[in-house]
Formats: sequence, structure tokens, C-alpha cells
Amino acid sequence: MMQKLSENILDKFSMDFLRNQVLKNAYGNNDTVIAARDPRVLLVWYLFFGLVPWFVQDTAFLLGCFVLVMITTLLARVAGLVLLLFGVGVFSQTGYLLVVTWLFGGDASAIAPLLVLTLKVATISLASVTVFSGLDPDRLANGLMWFGCPEQLSFSISYAYRILPMLMEEFQNVLLSYRLRGNPPAHDTLTGKIRYLAYQVKIIMAAFYPLMLNTAKRSRTTVEALELRGYRYAAQNKTVRRIKLAGLHLTWDDGIFAAVSVLWVAVTVLLAGLV
Amino acid sequence: MSIIEIKDLCYTYPGAAQPTLRHLDLTVEPGDFLAIVGNNGCGKSTLCKVLNGLIPHFITGTFSGSVKVAGQETLQSDVGSLARRVGYVYQDFENQIVRPTVLDDASYACLNYGMEDYRALGRQALARCGLQGREEEYVWQLSGGQTHLLALAGAVALGPEILILDEPIAQLDPGHADRIYGVLRELNEKWGKTILVIEHHTEYIADYCKHVLLLKEGRVQWLLPTRQALGRVEELRQSNIFPPQVTQAGYALQQQGLLDPAQELPSTVEEGVAAFAPLSRRRLPPETPSRPEPGPEAAALHGVTVAYRSVKGAPRVVFEGLDLTFRKGEKIALIGSNGAGKSTLMKLLVGLLKPNQGTVSLDGTPLRDTKPEALSRRISLVYQNPEEMFIKDSIQADIAYAMQVRGVDRWQEKTNALLERFRLTELADRDGRLLSGGQMRRASLAIGVALNPGILLLDEPTANLDIATRREILRTLRDMKEITDTVVIATHDMQLVCEWAQRIVVLCGGKVVADGTRDQIFGDAALAARVGIRPPEIFAMGRALDQGALCYTVPEFLRQFEGENGV
Repeated sequence: MMQKLSENILDKFSMDFLRNQVLKNAYGNNDTVIAARDPRVLLVWYLFFGLVPWFVQDTAFLLGCFVLVMITTLLARVAGLVLLLFGVGVFSQTGYLLVVTWLFGGDASAIAPLLVLTLKVATISLASVTVFSGLDPDRLANGLMWFGCPEQLSFSISYAYRILPMLMEEFQNVLLSYRLRGNPPAHDTLTGKIRYLAYQVKIIMAAFYPLMLNTAKRSRTTVEALELRGYRYAAQNKTVRRIKLAGLHLTWDDGIFAAVSVLWVAVTVLLAGLV
Repeated sequence: MSIIEIKDLCYTYPGAAQPTLRHLDLTVEPGDFLAIVGNNGCGKSTLCKVLNGLIPHFITGTFSGSVKVAGQETLQSDVGSLARRVGYVYQDFENQIVRPTVLDDASYACLNYGMEDYRALGRQALARCGLQGREEEYVWQLSGGQTHLLALAGAVALGPEILILDEPIAQLDPGHADRIYGVLRELNEKWGKTILVIEHHTEYIADYCKHVLLLKEGRVQWLLPTRQALGRVEELRQSNIFPPQVTQAGYALQQQGLLDPAQELPSTVEEGVAAFAPLSRRRLPPETPSRPEPGPEAAALHGVTVAYRSVKGAPRVVFEGLDLTFRKGEKIALIGSNGAGKSTLMKLLVGLLKPNQGTVSLDGTPLRDTKPEALSRRISLVYQNPEEMFIKDSIQADIAYAMQVRGVDRWQEKTNALLERFRLTELADRDGRLLSGGQMRRASLAIGVALNPGILLLDEPTANLDIATRREILRTLRDMKEITDTVVIATHDMQLVCEWAQRIVVLCGGKVVADGTRDQIFGDAALAARVGIRPPEIFAMGRALDQGALCYTVPEFLRQFEGENGV
């Protein structure tokens, strides 16, 4: 049973799965409420929810913010893997302290500050998750460009998403070469299992070398093609920037989204009695 | 006025000892559809990069002479303005696509050059390249052929007068290849583009191109109308170019004195009918290659269903209830169009992919409980892309790796023997990635057979290779018959199928639609039309002369002319 389960988990975490999740995260949810927002509105929104929680200690306010970003995260239909990473991340930052304190009978005075810290981290992380995986990379890049980030940055973001699936597929194939031709240690006993794990880690590291060389070989064409397709020309051209940003429009829905967020925060502030 | 005028062009790559182009002169008229042929390393790609200004503006080196493209002197121009006159599609076209969605990529260059109506231009280019209706799709949803059309659309969008394509159909099945050339023909005839292709599939040259340019050692050997050019069999062979099989047959008949030496050689099946029909022929008894007695089961799939996760929507089902058995000692070719599931089938057999339903078994035992690494002595897979098999920094280390980690007796000796057998001894210390296409392929074969597997799976062993190298691989495969028992090849290369395979399995829509000898498969015209496979040209030629003929190679075709009056 246990073996079955562990194999099942390993199966789920194949490169194929990772690749699928990355793509799903970037492009699989472009029809959600969040994805339809103007990236500029979302970035300003993120500026608030990414910064303000750090400076507020009030539990009620933090809880209110947390609920809001949780709703937006749900609306953005973020891929499962990202949420899992979020969960693991928050837990490893502060969550485990909270659990340990509670288990060892810490009283409210010990738990409260930890709860506040956990809430802060969780709120900020979920806000990031909403913005960075709710929006598709191109809209995000355009939004950043509007705020004056250099064209190179926005190109890198969308190109990374273009190249990442290819890299992962290649990496998978190189790993498969190792798996097919390699001879991993037997892993029936506990020491065997540890050796097997060490072997796997070693193989994953070794697989980066052929991956890098293959990528270098590929990128020769990409660099030439970018030159031919006017990438360098566009980076210095004001017209191109204007044309690219012309695609950004504020709509009533953006207004509603902003209004609801402001209202929510206002109500939270009132309830928390901060004013 | 000529659209391309090159005078006394010499070019040496930075750091190279020898010039790549030597005193090259060339004139191309507007509206031409020109095939550029030549040996590996004769400067075909270099010439094309001279035309779009990448040389000397982006790749430096020693450059002399004058190159005038669409009235512009390339030296006085820059890459940007030349890119609007000359579109370029690379051989590894996937790496040319930089945007995630189809329309975005097609209009990317137009946007970069600040054209206000970039989206409309992108749409127009997609329509001209036969991709309308796919504007909003993501690039990884496209098949290989469609990706190539997208790369072409990206070049067409800028409205260049000249389009250059480097080996456009190297990895495609005949259906997709026809589509690419159909699009090119329309761009040429309807939209007046001048088209240059680097191509060694001479059958396609015969069908589509107007002129042929032979490059040899960095010089123009000649530029002739297609039929005349393809008739120069000897000169082409010296440059490792193999004329269409019909032309080869005509040439052989001329040599035997059966065909008038003054007559222009046929290059297409229609011309072949005109040339060969008057000759006296005899009907040959159908020759059936003896199929060996079916051995015990080597590998089998029972009721196998496989689906891939997709980014959006329902998973893509590749196989549904597939049943297939391979027997010991068989030489099997697995054919079917791009995306028919050939690679998936191979991955299933080596245990890299687990079926959602059904069982895969090897020598009668199911794979489910076996780890892939434990299988590698019994079955081995050589990838389509040999680069992914090179995990060490020299091919010697790569070949040795599997034996070394398993502590095989005398592995050094065995490695040296393999290097010798695959003619790689001289290259033993080189990194596999830096070898030429054919050498890379030989190295990957050597890696594949290192552990002496009972079953060898080869995924497209001849893709991306020129004809001469393909022949070499075919020879290597024949040599290997003694090392490995059962061999399965997934391929589009029908000449390879006809000359090598004893059993042919046709996959289509996730099912085995046909399974038999070459006569059974290619003799069934309805089947070929349905699944988009095409027998070698000489087979069609034989059929055009005689409905019942079944000949697969040029010598087999020629035999019918050896009569009492023959040689």
C-alpha cells in the first residue's frame, strides 16, 4: 500500500506534470475575472496588498485582507501546484511555529503574534499569486512596461514562458536517458533508499550539463531570428512602445473590481476600529 | 531587373582557415522558385544568410564583393531594412518562434518595426499560409507542419519580395510536406514572391521548383531549369545529391542503350510515362520477400489506452484500446502521419510512459512492475533527437556509460569495438552535439546498442539527414541485423521502409489500421489515400506503367526492361 502510494506521488510529479502545471498556470486560465482585469489596476492593487500588511499589526484587518486575497485567488483559478507551493512556503516560514506553539500548550499571548505573522505572509503571498499567475504573462509584461519597466524585462517574462515548456521537455528527455542507461542502487532497504535518493539528486544535477549545451545550441537560431524580426530595433523605438500599450484599456469592470476592493478594505478598517 | 545580383562574393567565417564562399556570382530573376542544392558544407546556408544581411552585419568575418538584393546593396543597408525584403525560415524553425500565441508570433516582426496595422498584417500572413482559424491558439498546440507554416507566416507578414527556406520538409510526413510546398507555390504564383529553398528531396524539386542552383565548394557550378538540372545525374551524384528515382531509372536505361541518350531525362511520373511507355517490357512475376516464421512474442500491447494532459479542456487521447504484438526476429516499420502516436508507442514499450489502461509486456511479462533502468538490457530506444542522448562530454564516454555503470566485463574493449563498427574511432573524444547530422545519428545508434538489447527501437533514424547520409544509416542498419534481433523503426522515410522492413504497421487515429508486408500495405491504394502515406516515387512510376506492378527500388523497376532484347 505504502509503496503504491509513494509511486503514485512520484508519478504525479513527473516533468510532464510540472510542464503541464507551468503552462496551465500561465495560459490555462485566461478567461477568469482576474485575467480580464487591466494589468495596471492589478499592479496597483498588488502594491497595496503586497506592502500594507507588513506595516499593520491588527489581526482583524489582516484577516479581512486575507479573506479578500483568498477570494481573488479562487477567482483566478490558480493551478494546484502553485497553491501547494504556497501552502508549503507559508508553513515552512511561520506556520510550523504556530503549530508547535499550540501543541506545546502555548497560550494566546504566545500564539497571537505568530498568527499575525502567518497572516501577513499568507496575505502577501496570495496577493502575488493572484497577480502573477492570474494574469497571462503578456498582459503582465505590458502592465509593467506602462509603469516604465524596460522593454527587455517584459520581453524576458513572456519569452521565459515560451521557452520554459521546451526546456522542461528537453530536461525530461535527458533525465530519461539517464534513467534508461543508468544503473541506480537497489532501494529495498533504508540505506538503499537513501543512496537511491542521493543518486537521483546527483543525476538531476548532472542532467543540467547536457541541457545547458543543448540550449546554447538552440539559442543560436533564436538570437539570429530575434535580430531579423526586429527585436533590437523595437527596444529603442517609441512608436512600438505606444502601439504595444495601446492594447491596454480600462473598463467599467476594472472600476468595479477596484471599488469592491476599496470598499472591502474600508469596511475591514472600520470593523477593526483602526480609525 | 534581377532581384538578386551577386558579384565576386568571397566570405570567410571569423576564425575559419578556408573561405566558405569563393568568388561567387549569381543572378536570380524576380518570380523564380529556385532550389539550392549541394554537398554538406558547400555554403548553402551561408549564401542565404548573405542575402538577408545577417552576414556581414550580424555575423562578421571577411567579406568582399557586391550583393544587391531587391535593388539594395546589402553592405550599405542594415538587417532591419533587409528583413523587410527577405524573409528567412530556419531549418530548426521551432527556435525561431518567440511568442506564445499564433497571431502574436505572426505579427511580432510587424509590431517591432512599428507598423500600426500589425495585427491585420499577421492575420493576412496566416491566411496566406493556410493557418486561418488558428490565430488564438498557443504555439505548442500546433503540429510540426503547422509550426513550420507559422514560422513561414512570421516571415511573410513583413511582406518581403524574397522568401528563403532552409530544408522546409526535413521532419514532415508527405501530407504536411505537400501542404508546405502548396503554400509556397501559391506565394510564388499568386503573390509573386521569389522563393529560394535549400532542399535535397529532389522529388519535390521536380514537382515545384523552376530552377536549380548547384553549389560546389563555395562556387556556383550551374543554374539551370529544373528538368535539365535534374538530368545531370553524374554531376549531382558527385555532390551527393540523388535525382528523383524516375530520373535515375531513365539514366540507367540510357546507360543500357534502351533510351535515346539525346532525350531529356524525365523527372516526374508523368514525364516518366511518356519516356518509358514506348519501351518493351515484360511482366515480372510478383516477388514476395520471404517473411520469416513468426518467432515467440517479443513485446506486446493489450488494450492500451493513453491520454496526455492538456493545458485546457479534456485530455488528448492518443491510443484507445490498442492491441499490437511484435515477434522475435522481426524488422518492423511503424508508419503514420505526424501525431499518429509512433513516439508514444515507443515510450510505452520502454516503460517511460505508463498506459492509463491495458498492459504492455515484454517477453510475456508485464512491464508494470519493472523499472525502466532494469529493462535496458532487453529493450533500447534511440531518440529522434540524438542530442538528448548525449549525457557525457565525449561520445566514447556516452557509449561506455551504460556498460560502465553496470560493470559489464571488458567494457573498454566493447566500447572500442562499437566505435570501430560505427566508424566513430576518430571522433571518440568529441562532444556528440558538435558532430555532423550523420555522425550524430551513428553515435546515437552505437549508444542504443551498447547493452546488446534484444529489441531496438529507433525513432525517425533518418530525419533531418541528406540522402547520402540516409543511405549510410540504411547501410548501418543492415549491418546491425546481426547484432540485434528485433528492430522497430518509426519513420516517414518510405524508401527506408521499402528497402529494410519485413513487416509494416500503419498507425492512424490511435489505432493499427494496417499490418503486413510492403505489398499488402502499398498495394492497397485506398489505404494509402486514407492514412496519408506515400510509397516511394518509383513505386508510383511502376504503377503508372502497369496497374499491377509492385516495385520498390530502382533496380527492381529496371528489371522489367531486361527482356530478350535487353542486356
